[in-house]
Amino acid sequence: MRNFGYTVARTPEDAVRIAAGTRNSTFVSGGTDLLNLMRDGAQAHDHLVDINRLDLAGIAVDRQALRIGALARMRHVAEHPLVRRESPVLSEALLASASPQVRNMAAIGGNLLQRTRCGYFRDAGSACNKRVPGSGCPAITGYNRGHAILGGSDHCIATHPSDLAVALTALDATVHLLGPDGARAVPIADFYLLPGSTPEREVALRPGELITRVDVPRTSLAAQSRYLKLRDRATFEFAVVSVAAALQMTGRTVRDARLAFGGIGTRPWRDTRAEAVLRGRPLTETTIAEAGRVLVRDAKPHNDNRFKVELVQRALARVLSELGGVR
Amino acid sequence: MTGLVGRGVARVDGRAKVTGAARYAADNEVTGVLHGHLVLSTVARGEITEIDTSAALAQPGVVAVYTHRDMPRLTLPSFPFLKGFLPLQDARIHHNGQPVAYVVAETLEQAQEAANHVRVRYRAERPTAHLADALGEAFLPRPFRDRPNEFTRGDAAAALKAAEVRIEQDYTSPTMHHNPIEPHTSTAVWNGNSLTLYESAQGIIFTRGVVAKAFEGFGVRLEDVRIISPYLGGGFGAKGPTWPHTLINAAAARAIGRPVKVVLTRAQMFTMNGHRAEYRRSLRIGATRQGVLTAIVDTSTGQLTRTEESIFNTSDSTLNLYACPNVHVRQMGIRLDLPSSSYMRSPETTAHFGLETAMDELAHELGIDPVELRIRNLPATGNTGNHLQECYRMAAKAFGWARRDPRPRSMRDGNEYVGWGVATETHTYSVFPSSAGLTVGVDGRATLRAATQEIGTGTYTVITQVVADGLGMPIEHVTTLLGDTTYPPASLSAASATMASVIGPASHAAQSARDAVIALAVADPRSPLHGVPAQDVVAERGYLFPRGDRGRRDTYHGVMSRHGRPVEVTGSKQNTGGRSHGAVFVEVRFDPRLAALRVSRVVAAYDPGRVLNHRTAHGQVIGGVTWGIGFALMEHTVVDRNTARVVNPNLSTYLVPVCADTPSVESFFVDRPAEDSTALGARGFGETPGTGVPAAISNAIFHATGRRLRDVPFTQDKLL
Repeated sequence: MRNFGYTVARTPEDAVRIAAGTRNSTFVSGGTDLLNLMRDGAQAHDHLVDINRLDLAGIAVDRQALRIGALARMRHVAEHPLVRRESPVLSEALLASASPQVRNMAAIGGNLLQRTRCGYFRDAGSACNKRVPGSGCPAITGYNRGHAILGGSDHCIATHPSDLAVALTALDATVHLLGPDGARAVPIADFYLLPGSTPEREVALRPGELITRVDVPRTSLAAQSRYLKLRDRATFEFAVVSVAAALQMTGRTVRDARLAFGGIGTRPWRDTRAEAVLRGRPLTETTIAEAGRVLVRDAKPHNDNRFKVELVQRALARVLSELGGVR
Repeated sequence: MTGLVGRGVARVDGRAKVTGAARYAADNEVTGVLHGHLVLSTVARGEITEIDTSAALAQPGVVAVYTHRDMPRLTLPSFPFLKGFLPLQDARIHHNGQPVAYVVAETLEQAQEAANHVRVRYRAERPTAHLADALGEAFLPRPFRDRPNEFTRGDAAAALKAAEVRIEQDYTSPTMHHNPIEPHTSTAVWNGNSLTLYESAQGIIFTRGVVAKAFEGFGVRLEDVRIISPYLGGGFGAKGPTWPHTLINAAAARAIGRPVKVVLTRAQMFTMNGHRAEYRRSLRIGATRQGVLTAIVDTSTGQLTRTEESIFNTSDSTLNLYACPNVHVRQMGIRLDLPSSSYMRSPETTAHFGLETAMDELAHELGIDPVELRIRNLPATGNTGNHLQECYRMAAKAFGWARRDPRPRSMRDGNEYVGWGVATETHTYSVFPSSAGLTVGVDGRATLRAATQEIGTGTYTVITQVVADGLGMPIEHVTTLLGDTTYPPASLSAASATMASVIGPASHAAQSARDAVIALAVADPRSPLHGVPAQDVVAERGYLFPRGDRGRRDTYHGVMSRHGRPVEVTGSKQNTGGRSHGAVFVEVRFDPRLAALRVSRVVAAYDPGRVLNHRTAHGQVIGGVTWGIGFALMEHTVVDRNTARVVNPNLSTYLVPVCADTPSVESFFVDRPAEDSTALGARGFGETPGTGVPAAISNAIFHATGRRLRDVPFTQDKLL
């Protein structure tokens, strides 16, 4: 790791100004991912702007939304009584993430910006289009068990690792940003980008922009939500496949549904067509299976991750059956 | 004897470890130390055509950068140096992650950053990285350490052909890495031709030999080298052999004329210090309808390198465990463009997994209970078989095996299938020549010194227990010092050898010292024991008294303070190696809709001869079982097929079990002294627990699902 400059910012505006005034800088909060990336040589910065002192750690609520400060730690959001009651999927996704130690440190904003766990991306000795554009993607012809079956391109098939982002995608959250040109809000559906031919661009952040807050709409839908994460060991491991689902029923009929998935897409994967399959129809094994088939209709599996096509449908079926009380 | 031996004495080094007072190798602050960082190759096969160190040398704090062009020339040592070549001596690249430069700087961060500025160009050739890509190139390697790779008993081919029942299956396992928590580290301090190494080593006597050999061209003799390694943060076999970083670092320190420290990064530990080789095994087993084994044809294929052909995963259990008259074992190898493999935690597990899975397949085929099938095939003579039978009885009872419905998918709990599986645990243990020096000081306290080491298993504790017991002294009055080659030579802490090798000498030293002090007492007119026949004096809790007359007593402190000089003795005792056995029962729970599996219960019983400390022995079982779960369910080094480069060189993506994957483990011990062991009746035991766990899990999965898995790790995709 090369030497880097370090400044502690006092206000969000201060942080954005410092970042704009330093070459190749980035913000650091918990540092649980950034420092590993820098140590491994997967990412290099000349300057770090420490944002831990900013007044952005609060969790507020009003009639419309739960407003989560970007510096709220994973643990605090997961344990917040209102989050648990009104958006259980959010709490469950956070508690299924990382380890207690990491959750104590890692902040919400940083969680949304964590980088893929693709081994080729993390290894400075391997080619990787995301790390070094144009160098190639060894995962496509190499080891791709953890990689995406949806949303990939010839340049990149890496999955986004955040569980939180999957839950927020299901809940239609909005990401609030502050940059040199002022504040703006981006729906989470537009926040994460498909890799296409520019896999190095993962999010819709403009240079120097800082995440200040994430708003989660308060809906009755969100109160009926769940997160299921399947992984290769019991804890402290990223998803092989995960499902964030919210379901609103009228009797046996689905009034509304939100479905998002982790481990299968190059970004947190929302499928509104699968939701549409369920909406207005009774929740049965048949409709659930149909939603699953729609989800994987365009799946493009690779050598080692073919099983995800089947596994994600089973995971979806489990979550929907439990949420909807289907035997 | 004061009954200390066997007791579950708490770790004597526990306090030092949890308070941070214990000094691990990299904790030593050596004045003026420089820091080294290795630059590793990014191709697996080929040649360095150009290497430019000028930019690295220009970085702040950099003292030197060595490449194959200017690295001091060393002598290639033999075993236990396992590599067939020394890196940084020529331009040839034999594997990905091979050292191509060594950067030395004032600080670690400076060395690491400068390493990024070394520019290397290669003429790269396409590597072969997987056994599957070179199956036609399998060959029978030369004997390794005098052990042939082919063994024949009877006529296995004919017996197999004639067998009433046959099981013919293939079993595979991937590359795995040791991954001790403490990284490999070495700090080299030269004083003229004398070299001191603060080293993370499982065998300081071994390491001394390798280092002396490497530097023999400089006139360095064995006695010039001192290795210090009082604590290890785990080794699992990785730190038994000596690896290139130690030699490269010492050579740099010598050339620069200042101490240098190297600590490997986690990623570097995936190419610098050995691994469990990728492995395939074809087993052909023949038996009678009554379940008596008549033939085993066992052909395994392990990964070798271009530069050596050493087989570490041997088929010992095929040869020794069951009484089969016709056996043909071949341990084949295939050369790949990968780093050297090595011994890794219970190396026989690799082969044993196949045998114990095949035994379960045979039991199912014949409709015989798998425990009964094994008992029918135990050797008729020797108490080994008898005690293993007892292990099976003890563990089966505690597990509740009698309640098992043998039909697959027959046992359910709610939405989950329950599967019960069993396997024999077995491993060879070795013995290495050992001695121990014991000093009883004028304060009446004792210090034992031996050049073996503590690798986290409880060596300090058990030796201290045995010495205190032999002396008849409170355990608090005995100090054990290990991990320094200036102490009397003693065992490698590997191959389950430490206790079997060191306890005899330690116990012998304690008895000699006790006798010497008693002799002083009875000859001393100032002692209450003056004139008592020495053989009538006993020692207990620091007191010396005539048998049956506690009132007429002296103390170690009294005798020694009057004597005014320490008593010093050396203990030694030969022992022979052997095998330790056990039986392990595993319960798994399987959710068929999600294909999710977990291990919910483990019960095991063992025959390690006499148990010297029940607590450390149980600890060893917990560790072994946990690694067995890792072997079965998750451990897997991913080597890219095209580049022969490790894709998951970190603990985030190389998975080992966490607590939530590991149920509580119940252990039982036969606890009867082994007549063939001079270590107070204790056998080597360390590597036995866990050897049967992968097969027991595979067998439990079959019971739960009706599905037979033969390729570890058993990940969710294989259970869909």
